[in-house]
Amino acid sequence: MRCGMPAVFPAPAPRRAPADHEKGSLMESFIQQCVNALQWGSFYALIALGYTLVYGVLRLINFAHGDIFMVGAYIAFFLSTGMLAEGGMFGFSRELTLALTVPLTMLLTSCCGVTLERIAYRPLRRKGAHRLYVVITALMCGLILENGNLALLGASRRALPELLDKRIYSLGGIAVTNLKLLVIFTAVLVFVFLHGIVTRTRIGMAMRAVSYNRFALPLMGIPLDSVIVFTFVLGSGIAGLGGVLFAMSYPVLEPYMGAMTGWKAFIAAVVGGIGDVRGAFLGGFLLAFVEIMVAAFLPSTFRDLFAFSILLLILWKRPTGIFGMPLTTKI
Amino acid sequence: MLTVTDLKASYGKIEALHGISFHVRRGEIVTLIGANGAGKSTTLKALMRLKLPECPTVTGGDILFDGESIMNMEAHHVVGKLRMTLVPEGRQIFGNLTVVENLTLAAWTNTGDTRRNLDHVFGIFPRLAERMRQRSDTLSGGEQQMLAVGRALMSKCSVLLLDEPSMGLAPLLMYEMFRTLKKLNDEGMTIIVVEQNARIALQLADRGYVLDTGEIVAEDAGKALLQRPEIKAAYLGG
Ligand SMILES: Nc1ncnc2c1ncn2[C@@H]1O[C@H](COP(=O)(O)OP(=O)(O)O)[C@@H](O)[C@H]1O
Ligand SMILES: [Mg+2]
Repeated sequence: MRCGMPAVFPAPAPRRAPADHEKGSLMESFIQQCVNALQWGSFYALIALGYTLVYGVLRLINFAHGDIFMVGAYIAFFLSTGMLAEGGMFGFSRELTLALTVPLTMLLTSCCGVTLERIAYRPLRRKGAHRLYVVITALMCGLILENGNLALLGASRRALPELLDKRIYSLGGIAVTNLKLLVIFTAVLVFVFLHGIVTRTRIGMAMRAVSYNRFALPLMGIPLDSVIVFTFVLGSGIAGLGGVLFAMSYPVLEPYMGAMTGWKAFIAAVVGGIGDVRGAFLGGFLLAFVEIMVAAFLPSTFRDLFAFSILLLILWKRPTGIFGMPLTTKI
Repeated sequence: MLTVTDLKASYGKIEALHGISFHVRRGEIVTLIGANGAGKSTTLKALMRLKLPECPTVTGGDILFDGESIMNMEAHHVVGKLRMTLVPEGRQIFGNLTVVENLTLAAWTNTGDTRRNLDHVFGIFPRLAERMRQRSDTLSGGEQQMLAVGRALMSKCSVLLLDEPSMGLAPLLMYEMFRTLKKLNDEGMTIIVVEQNARIALQLADRGYVLDTGEIVAEDAGKALLQRPEIKAAYLGG
C-alpha cells in the first residue's frame, strides 16, 4: 500500500451508506479494516513498548523515542539502498538485503538510544536532577534528532526500495499482503519476547526492581547503569525494528515522521497503563482500532478528534490506564 | 581486614564525618553506636562506595580492605569482588517483587546454586518460605527485615554491614534477629552493626565505637563500653 503521507493513513473507506446488495461487503469491509488496524497498531505497539520500558525502569518519559524510531527508518533506508543490487555498493539480492538490514538497523538504532542515555540522561541522573529537567532534555534530544536529520539530509522525502516480493492472499473479499502478516506477526513476537524477559529473567527482575528502589540495587552487586543501558538497548532496538517495517510498509521517509507517530504511541502507552508491557501492546492496538474505525465510517478529518476523545474517556474512567495499578511500580 | 583512616564525608557543603578512624578484623562483630544524626549511616554508605545523588561524597581519608584502598571502587564491585554488603536502614526491599524474586535477584553475583542458597536462607528464616510467592511489600515489618538480611545472605558475602536492624521490631523479634546475627558470626561472618539501641548492640559486639556528631569519641570492647559511666549516661538511659 504505497499511499502518501503515513500520517493520513489509512485511506478513507467508502463513506456513503451501503445499499442492500452491499450488506455482505460491509462485513468484509469491517474485517478488512480490522486487518489494517492490526498492522497499524503493530507500529504503535512497537514504539509504545519502548516508551513503557524506559518509563518502567527510570520513571522517565523518553520523548526522544519517536525520533529514535525515525532514525531507525533512515538507518534502514541507507543500509538497504547501500546493499541492494540496483545502485548499491554490494549488489546483494533483496532477500539478503532484508535479512541484513533488519538486525543491523536494530543494532545501530540501539546504539543511538544508548548514546542518548550516555550523553544526555546519565549525567543528569548522576547529579540527581529533578524529573522535569530530564523530560525537557528528552524533548530537546528529540528535536535535535529531527532537525539534525533535516540539516544533514534536507527535507526531501525518501523511499525505501522494495525488499519483499509483494504477495496478496485473499480470502473472500479480504486481502492480506505478506508484509502485513509479517508486521503483525513481528509485533506479537516482540511482545511475547519482552514480556518473557520482564517477568521471567533475572535482568527483568532487576529492571522492575530499579523502578521501586534504585538505592538497593548496587547492594545486590548489580550495576545500575548496565540495567539502564540494557533497557535502552531493548527499547531502541525495537523502535529500530518498527522503523524498518514502517519504511517497508509506507516508504515515505521524512525527518518529522517520528514526531506525530511517537506522540500517538506515547498516548497509547499511557492509555494501556505506562510502565506495563501488556498495556503498551494493548494500547497500541486500541488506538489503531479507534483511528481506523473512525476513519472508515466518518470523514477522515474526524479521525484524531474522535480517537483522542475516546482515549480521554478511557483515562477518565481509569486514570492509571488499562493495566495501571493504583500505586506506581510496574514494567 | 577493614581499616578506615581519617574518613571525611559530606552532603554538599555540609560535612557529616569529620575524619573518623576505626578498624575491623575478620570474624569480628563490631558495633557503631551513637545518637540520631551522629553519622552512622553516612559511615556505612561511604564504606559501600555508594554514589547515588542522595549518598555522601567522601572528601578525605582512606578505606583499606585487606590492605588495599577501595576509594576508586564502585558499590556493585564492593559486593561482587570484596564480598561485603549492606542491609540498609529501612530495609529497602523491592516491594513490587515477590519474596523469592527479591532473594533470586540478590544472588546476582553469586555463581553458586541458587536453589541451594534459597533453601539455606529459608532454613534461617522459615517465615520467608511461607511467604515465598507474596509481593514483598505485603510483609510485616519484621518479615521485611528478615528478607533484607536474607537478601544479603543470598549474595554469599563474608562481611555484612547492618544499619539499625532492630528498628521497628518488637522486642522478641529484635532478640531473635540478634541471635541470628550471632549465629552467622559463629559461622565466620564478619559483622559491622550500627545501632541506636546501644545496649543490645554492645552485648553482642566484640568491640564498639561511639560516634558523636561525625567524630569517634570512644572505643573499647563491647562489654567494657557497657560499664563506662559516661556511656551509660548518654546511651543506655542512666
Ligand atoms: N541525604 C542527606 N542530605 C543532607 N544531609 C544528610 C543526608 N543524610 C544525612 N544527612 C546529615 O548527615 C548527618 C549524619 O546523618 P546519618 O549518617 O544519617 O546519621 P545516623 O545514621 O547516625 O542517624 C546528619 O546531620 C544528617 O542530617
Ligand atoms: Mg541512620
